[in-house]
Amino acid sequence: MLGSDVLQFSATALLQHRRRTLLSLTGVVIGVTAVIFLTGLAEGARRYVFDQFSSLGSNIIIVIPGKTETSGAMPGVGSAPNDLTLNDTLALQRELTGVRTVIPVAAGNDTISFGERRRQVVVLGTTHEFLKARDLTLAHGSFLPKAAMDRGSQVIVIGDTVSRELFLGQDPVGQVLRMGGRRMRVIGVMAKEGERMGQDIDDMVFAPVSTVMQLFNRSTLFRIMVEQHAYTDQEYTKARIISVLRERHGDEEDVTLITQDAVLDSLGGILRALSLGLAGIGAISIAVAGIGIMNVMLVSVSERRAEVGLLKAMGATRRQILAIFLAEAAMLSTAGGVIGLGFGWLLLQILRIIYPVLPAATPLWAVVSVIALAVCTGPLFGVIPAWRASRLDPVLALQRK
Amino acid sequence: MIRLENIWKTYEMGDQKLHALREINEEIRTGEHIALIGPSGSGKSTLLNIIGCLDQPSQGSYSFDDTEIAHRTPQELADIRLHELGFIFQAFHLVPRLTALENVTLPMLFAGIPKAERLERAKSVLASIGLEPWFDHRPAELSGGQKQRVAIARATVMNPRVLLADEPTGNLDSDSGAQVLELLNERNRQGITLITVTHDPNVARQAHRVLVLRDGSIVRHIEGTHLQSLSELFTGFDSMDSPSD
Ligand SMILES: Nc1ncnc2c1ncn2[C@@H]1O[C@H](COP(=O)(O)OP(=O)(O)OP(=O)(O)O)[C@@H](O)[C@H]1O
Ligand SMILES: [Mg+2]
Repeated sequence: MLGSDVLQFSATALLQHRRRTLLSLTGVVIGVTAVIFLTGLAEGARRYVFDQFSSLGSNIIIVIPGKTETSGAMPGVGSAPNDLTLNDTLALQRELTGVRTVIPVAAGNDTISFGERRRQVVVLGTTHEFLKARDLTLAHGSFLPKAAMDRGSQVIVIGDTVSRELFLGQDPVGQVLRMGGRRMRVIGVMAKEGERMGQDIDDMVFAPVSTVMQLFNRSTLFRIMVEQHAYTDQEYTKARIISVLRERHGDEEDVTLITQDAVLDSLGGILRALSLGLAGIGAISIAVAGIGIMNVMLVSVSERRAEVGLLKAMGATRRQILAIFLAEAAMLSTAGGVIGLGFGWLLLQILRIIYPVLPAATPLWAVVSVIALAVCTGPLFGVIPAWRASRLDPVLALQRK
Repeated sequence: MIRLENIWKTYEMGDQKLHALREINEEIRTGEHIALIGPSGSGKSTLLNIIGCLDQPSQGSYSFDDTEIAHRTPQELADIRLHELGFIFQAFHLVPRLTALENVTLPMLFAGIPKAERLERAKSVLASIGLEPWFDHRPAELSGGQKQRVAIARATVMNPRVLLADEPTGNLDSDSGAQVLELLNERNRQGITLITVTHDPNVARQAHRVLVLRDGSIVRHIEGTHLQSLSELFTGFDSMDSPSD
């Protein structure tokens, strides 16, 4: 008996009971849809996080005040006995080798206004180097001027949203706006950037670091960014940063260093575990769906006893009967897999329309393994019914009851 | 070609033993037309199924073409059924979801014959018995006589040497019964050995030999001119027949 003949014959049986066939498929469809959609979602989350943190650049080490116990964890936990200061920044600039630049960052919230319009914005105080280190682009005008860190001029660079909301299409460069009682001259407008590391660059303004520190009446920095040369060993630089700052902070290691690699490693690990977990749940649901297929096949075999008897009387071997019913089960679960694949894909497209920022896409390993699982589920759970059919006594099967 | 020696078929029902066949000794030659008659439950179908390699005797020896059938693997028995034997049943047993043509192609499927040849052979067999207009009809759209003729086409499409018919006219009116019978006789005249189980004296009368079964034993052989007096025998059965059948 040829393989294509087995499939064709089995297909006629499935098509005869369309509703039952569809019902027995639903379990597999739901399972596969779930795996495709959920792993796609998790992968989207992973890619989103990677995009965000990759923008950090692999040569950048961020120094934040306070010691967190687990390396690579998110900052902000733990007490900070010593704050980071501009002098720390200068010391690092002096002491470190193999480093391109050391950039101070101060931050705060304030309201800026231009004429009648006002807007609450995040204010970043930094230096000329920030633009290049963070790989940002300017739409027009210029970024903060090269100047000594402790010299603060009254200039400001504004984000795309700020520009449009406050200036309504007018050219902001050269205009003067107000921030915390100061008059700041706009010298540049950032290109549209969107979110980076969870912050909306478009809704920020940038000013010289000492200006911002004075504005918020602060002597401490939000963080320090160290950009090393690509050829410098990152571990060496990290060790040097720690030792320089420890010396300055009374022999206390009270800073946390964040690098892109460490963040991506730990977040990637979490998200991989998440998508594996989701795929696992989906896989279990597909296996459960296999039991549904087994039931339907058992019903089908007992309904078709006479047919099986007839096939045997005609000269079909046990193996051929087995093949016919296994093919039926395989076709059921494969069809379920393909339909589930389609549904999952459809759901992901809808998700992408609703949340365009999330680059949801099912990873190939998930697609391949879920389809393989679906294809195997049918024959696996169809073995018992098919075996029964192949063992039917043709005399009994053909006897009228 | 068919030799049965001391064949017994025994069913164990709890602690009771039911002998469906007892000590059957019989020889059937190539080209013969044999009718098996006897009251209901006398073992006709059991004997036919054993001859057809669908069932195995509990005891005794059955040789087909001088080779012993016992101890054959299921695979080998299937092969004999596929190539040497053709079954025809009272209930037709056509696969309801397949067309007449597809039903006739079925045995060739198991023989691994390519599709084009299957269709060609099925068409020519069906056409030769006047069923050309019914190729694409499903069994539900066919009359009883047409169904049985499709079943005969299916049983003969592999060119078997023996046709086994279990009450082939049992579900048919006398006209279509006669048609089916004529078809079977024609196959027999072409040299196919024909073994028919029947309750119908008119069917039995057309056989070369009639074997009368009772309680699992062959109690009479009737042949030649004695076939004319068959009707009396059947009147005898009727009182013994269970009406439920
Ligand atoms: N699988 C079985 N288990 C137990 N007893 C059986 C089985 N098959 C047949 N028998 C018994 O064997 C005997 C012969 O049965 P068989 O079907 O051969 O009779 P038959 O002559 O064909 O009858 P009918 O004319 O009603 O078809 C009967 O008594 C029947 O009840
Ligand atoms: Mg019978």
